[in-house]
Order: sequence, then C-alpha cells, then structure tokens
Amino acid sequence: MTHWADVINNLGFLMKGLLITLELAFIAILGSLMLGTFLGITRYLRLPFFSLISASYIEFARSIPLILFIVFIHFGFLPYFFPGTESSFFLSSCIALIIFTSAYVAEIIRGGLNSIEKGHIDAARSLGLSRIQRLKHIILPLAFQRMMPALVSQFIALIKDTSLASTIGLIELTRAGEIIYERTYHEFEILIFIAFVYFIICFSLSRLSKVLETKPYAKLQSM
Amino acid sequence: MYNINFDVIAQAAPQLIQGIKTTIFISVISSVCAFIIGLVIVFMRTMGGSLLKAIGAIYVEIIRNTPMLIQLYFVYKALPDLGLFLHPIACGIIALSLYTGAYISEVLRSGVNSVTSQQYEAARGLGLNKWQTFRLIIFPQAIRIVIPPLGSQFINLVKNSSLVSFIAVTDLFYFIYKGAVDDFRFFEFFIAGAFVYMTLTGIIAVIFNRIEKMFKLHGREARV
Repeated sequence: MTHWADVINNLGFLMKGLLITLELAFIAILGSLMLGTFLGITRYLRLPFFSLISASYIEFARSIPLILFIVFIHFGFLPYFFPGTESSFFLSSCIALIIFTSAYVAEIIRGGLNSIEKGHIDAARSLGLSRIQRLKHIILPLAFQRMMPALVSQFIALIKDTSLASTIGLIELTRAGEIIYERTYHEFEILIFIAFVYFIICFSLSRLSKVLETKPYAKLQSM
Repeated sequence: MYNINFDVIAQAAPQLIQGIKTTIFISVISSVCAFIIGLVIVFMRTMGGSLLKAIGAIYVEIIRNTPMLIQLYFVYKALPDLGLFLHPIACGIIALSLYTGAYISEVLRSGVNSVTSQQYEAARGLGLNKWQTFRLIIFPQAIRIVIPPLGSQFINLVKNSSLVSFIAVTDLFYFIYKGAVDDFRFFEFFIAGAFVYMTLTGIIAVIFNRIEKMFKLHGREARV
C-alpha cells in the first residue's frame, strides 16, 4: 500500500482534470439555474400552454438516468443536428447536465414560490404592483432565500454527476484518474485521492449552505 | 433524412428484455439492502452512544459527498488490490446499497426527528428498552411521513443502477447503448430506453402512492 507516489507524481495532471470538472460544474449550474427558474415560473404562473410543456419536460427528465442523456446527446443527437461536433465532449456533457438538473431546479423553484404566504402577495397587490412586479420584487427574493438549502444540495449532486462525463471521454477529474491507473494498475490510491477531492468540494459547499440557511433567521432574531 | 424505424427495437427485444431483468434484479436486491442499511444507520444515530453516532454521521457524509461512479469503481477496481475479488453484479449491488442506504438513512432521520421527545420519555416510563422504543414507538410514527421522499430514493436507485454497465454488468443501459452503436440507430434506442426507464420509475411511484394511502391515518385531516 505504498503507491501514493502515483498521486504525487501526477498531481499536475489530476489538477488539470479538476479544473475541467469545476468549469463544467460552474457552467452547468448557471445554465440549469436559468432554465430551471424559467420552467419553475411558467409552472407557478400556470401559463396555459407553456405550463403543460414544462410539466411534461420535468417529468420526462426526472425519470430517466443522466447517463442516458449524456451518452445519447454526445453520440447521437449533437453530431446529427450539428455535424462537426463529434469530439466536443465538454459541450455535450454540459447540455446533458443542464437538461437533467434544470428539471430538479424547476421543481425546487416551484415549491419555493408556492411556499410564500398569501399575506405577502395580498400586500404587494394592495400596493398596486402588477403580476410581473410582484414576482420580481416580492415573491422571488423571498422564495430564493428559502430555496437556498435545496438548491445547494441539488448543485452538490450536479458536481458529483460531472464524474459521469468521464464515460464519454471528457478528461475531467475522474477520467484523469482513470488514465493514470490504467497505466500503473494502482487503482486504490488514485480512487481514494479523487474521492477525497470530491469530498472536500461537496462537503464545504454543504457546510456553506448550512450557514446560509441560518443567516436569515439570525437577522430576524436580532431585529 | 433520418427515417425512424422501430424494427430495430423489435429485433433487439430479446436482449433488451434480458437487460430489463438484470436491472430489476439488481434494483430489487439493492433496494432491500439499502433500506436495511438506512434503518441500521438511523438506529445508530438516534439510539446509539456518541461513538455509534459519530460512525453513522461519518458514513453518511462520506457517501453523500462523493460520486456514485467513484464508489462503484472503488468496489470493482480497488478492492481486488486489497485481495477481495467479487462478481461484477455483486459489486454493483454493494455500491448501490451503500450509496442509497446513506440517503435513505437521512430521509428516515428527518422522520425520526419529527417525533416529539415526550414519546421517548413515555416509552422510557413504560420500561421499554432502546430497541423496543425504536421499533414500537418511534419507527411507526416516523415512517408514515417519509413515504413520499422514500419513494423518490428508490426511483433514484433504479436510475443509478444504469451505472453498473460501466463495470461490465449487462444491464438495460448496456444493451440499449450496444444496440444504438451496433445499428447506429440512436433515436430509436434512446426512445426505447427512455420509455422503459419511465415505466420502471412510474411503477415505483404508483406503488409508493398506494403505500402512502395504506398508511394514512383516518380522521387526521379533520383535526387540522
């Protein structure tokens, strides 16, 4: 059990992979937050046609494994609709992650919006705010505060899911580790190290969300 | 122009059915194991001493903050380094059970936490020991309210079971991917795969809706 030199010698390569993982996670988080908010709001407002579309989209995306999206977008849909994108691993895994996670984000957003008490909405209405203004200035800011813990845990799941991009050949953290141990055959140390890196990122994020969770209440108590 | 042609699905049907059987087999066994693991962990964390509590918490944090794929590779590729050789299906079941077990224990814990402390005191007053308190008083009240999130954990388990195809288990996803690559018919196989996975997760959702109705206390709505 003394192959830790494998990790140290290849640290630069692994960190390059980590950078790709973080880039992928960052872009996918932004994308899924935008698409998810849009879908969640259309369901919350019960817009006649869009609501049905987003409801079926959410149900579809939530009941299918992510790996099905990643593999079929990369090998099937993207090369067919956009010829010349056969080797764009980053793009296809990003699209798949956004499609998959935005459905979960939409459900969180809808739940948060529905949890706002009627009193706030009535108060906003009596101030003469329009429907869009109520949503923009009153309901969304209030709801975002409440949704923070659920959103952060969904984004932790997304960071973990970026490891699936290794299966189509994107050289992120997991694939970088695979490349190393396919050469050295010392899987144990590399896998422990990769798991440790993921753990540091995800665990610190979950602690951060705990802090964010208690902050609004702390403010209320001090008032 | 691409012509969608579902004959290829019909030709691949025997393989796909074999894959569905493997997926169901792995999912059912892992579900049972994961539920048992979840129960043990939640018992350790509510009734155990400080050491058992710490072990339970560390287990849950490690599993929940590392990717399932890494855990799967660990069981399949790193355990042989330590001298433990297992069948790929066994590796898949172990990794899936450990992963989902941690999530199930968190779901159960949220239910257990909602049971008031007076219940513990009353149970102690009746002279029940820790195991009896958990089994007879706490668990029946806790399980009732966590049935919907429990169902979504089992749905996640079925979806995550598709990852076992990367450790050489010929499950549903393996045959869908193989069919798509062999015939170069991505659209048909994607639709077929989506349909089967939606059916499987839909069945679980229906089962848990039934269970929820079965466990519902009559007259509770009237009180609120």
